[in-house]
Amino acid sequence: MAKNNPDSPKTISIIVYFFLLFALWFVLSGYLKSLLLFFGLISVVFVLWMSIRSKSLNYDVLPLKLLIKLPIYWIWLIKEIIKSGLTTTKIIWKGNYSPELIKVKASQKNNTGKANYANAITLTPGTVTIEIDKNTFLVHALSKELSEDLQSGEMDKIITGLHK
Amino acid sequence: MEYLIHYSTIFFLFLGCFFILSGSVGLIKLPDVFSRIHAAGLIDTLGTGFIILSLIIHSGFSLLSLKLLLIPLFILFTSPISGHAISLFAHESGYKPKAKLKRK
Repeated sequence: MAKNNPDSPKTISIIVYFFLLFALWFVLSGYLKSLLLFFGLISVVFVLWMSIRSKSLNYDVLPLKLLIKLPIYWIWLIKEIIKSGLTTTKIIWKGNYSPELIKVKASQKNNTGKANYANAITLTPGTVTIEIDKNTFLVHALSKELSEDLQSGEMDKIITGLHK
Repeated sequence: MEYLIHYSTIFFLFLGCFFILSGSVGLIKLPDVFSRIHAAGLIDTLGTGFIILSLIIHSGFSLLSLKLLLIPLFILFTSPISGHAISLFAHESGYKPKAKLKRK
């Protein structure tokens, strides 16, 4: 069950979720007939109604604000994945790995931001988030270079900026 | 133009295959669970990423390429969760990694 801030606007995020879900339905089906579009509309409304009823919608993130910032963040994340992926490939073929456990501080305020930061750490090859305390992550890194890259705090800053 | 599409498809397909191969080699070669997760992550991100990129170039830009773009989007959300689940379970059940904790 998602924990929500009491003061976050609910109706706007429900409307944005509706448009995102309908766009997903349209991309996956590709139909343009009005009857089928109507069926898609019904299914999207049904899914939204069920997830509101079961209180599993997350109002923490307002997706409308993220839509502008997210593509820039994803391009940066892909660049980062390729960079650390090449380092990991080099380590695998050479065989000279020296793993490290480090503790990283997260400066994000809400739970969604922390989850996103832990996700980004695990997604870049060579670093895996093992355990999450309140504000510190226990991270397993494959080499010294990768752990120092994480401890410079660039990724932390960018993701904190994303969730403001 | 057709040659460019053809050869870039082949190039990215080989690049993806190379990353999947090195991830598989890493799965065998690396010593403990925590290091092997890194190799699996390499397959998840760069391997599938480059192969789907080559498929998008091959199919041309249409509704199909949008559908193909949805695959890495879902992998982006699900693959770290499975990696985190494996590592958290290994950590909770008392499996010691070969790495030592660095305090700073």
